[in-house]
Amino acid sequence: MATPSVKAFVQAGLRLLTVQACWNYERMIGVGLAYTSEPLLRSLPGGPGGKRYHDAMRRATRYFNAHPYLAGLAAGALARAEHDEIPGEQTDRLRTALLGPLGAIGDRLVWAGTLPAASAVGLALSADTPAGIGAAALLALYNVPHLALRIWGLRAGWRYGTRLGRALSTPVLTAALKVVGPIAACAIGVALPVVAHRLAGELDFAGWTATALAAILGVVVTRWVAPRLGAVRLGLLAALAVIVGTAW
Amino acid sequence: MSALTAAALAAWGVITGIDLVSVLQVMVARPLVAGTVAGVIVGDATAGVLVGMVLELYALEVLAVGGARYPDFGPAAVAAAVAAEGMPVILIGPAVVVGLFTAYVGDWSIVAVRRWNTTYVRRLATRLDNGDVQAVSKAQAAGIARDALRALLLTSFGLLLAEATRHWMPPATRVRELLTAVVVGIGLATALVNGRRLGGARVGMLWLGLGVAAGVAWLLLR
Repeated sequence: MATPSVKAFVQAGLRLLTVQACWNYERMIGVGLAYTSEPLLRSLPGGPGGKRYHDAMRRATRYFNAHPYLAGLAAGALARAEHDEIPGEQTDRLRTALLGPLGAIGDRLVWAGTLPAASAVGLALSADTPAGIGAAALLALYNVPHLALRIWGLRAGWRYGTRLGRALSTPVLTAALKVVGPIAACAIGVALPVVAHRLAGELDFAGWTATALAAILGVVVTRWVAPRLGAVRLGLLAALAVIVGTAW
Repeated sequence: MSALTAAALAAWGVITGIDLVSVLQVMVARPLVAGTVAGVIVGDATAGVLVGMVLELYALEVLAVGGARYPDFGPAAVAAAVAAEGMPVILIGPAVVVGLFTAYVGDWSIVAVRRWNTTYVRRLATRLDNGDVQAVSKAQAAGIARDALRALLLTSFGLLLAEATRHWMPPATRVRELLTAVVVGIGLATALVNGRRLGGARVGMLWLGLGVAAGVAWLLLR
């Protein structure tokens, strides 16, 4: 088996940063996954003009969806399967089998864990430090694990190939999935009073009362009355009510 | 606003817009980051940070799972920072409303680009099904270009809204203060509800409560 060069892995890693560029309702990130995998497929026997390469690219452009940061696992594993001469039907089954786990793990680890935790730390620091520190902290806290996850994913995908389940059950990943949610909740808890003090601390008693009433309304509506309304629409409706009410 | 400042804001809006989904996703699209940098561009970093903070509370609600729809807070924070320039914290309410409305329009613009991508991919279907690498590259490049155009239009819309708000919003301080109180209150509620959800069904409130206690201690001890 001809292993792809380091340059091919670097290219695939850089292309992984655009895996969602052509997100669409039919193939979702299928096109992006093909674009990411392509450098790893050039070293298939026959090269980029060969039958193996074209067959692999044909399979690569089909429907696929996963968390974008873990799509590297799929790109690496599917490219490895092509190099290992795994039959096409089996590669397709692997592709289908990866859809659920890579989405669920990534969503829990990143969107519902790392991102809100980094955001909350950024918020708390913004309230109490010179301008820019909070934003810088958010970017640093988020992107160290983010980029590490992308690099690890591509490498692990290639290393494990069709045995990708082993990569997904590594102790570090399992432990991270357990703690990241509570850490995010705790970080948001820390940020809440600090941010409230910064944003509403200079309001007078009437302003504080209005803030408290709006917060209670926000909790009741987003939690029980109309959870699907969304905070943005609720905020806009409340602002409209204030403008119309004061004008009237 | 000078032409150079407007161009810098538009460029920053495009960067934050494409960062959301298409390219990098390093989270310069988060309102705290986008607002802070936009504040620096207009010469009032503090105002940028403040509106970024309020919008960041709302952004904690977003879970970008699968094909979910969500507001685009990057260009929204750029517009809000422009609207908030020179305002003290108690008067940033109208600027936040500008940001919320721009983010809401951004939600629709993302769906429009996804549909546009779908139509384009359908047109290239035969070539893609044959594994044509040039078609793959073309689809990717076109997707980025479409998203950049979307972000540019959204940022321009937000900036126009921000300028209009600065000129036509009644100067009645009491209304501005009330707007600030309301949008901050709902933002805090959003963070509270989502903090509890992220912590887990049974222990979410416990973790959130521990955090709140630590935050209060931070305020008292500093």
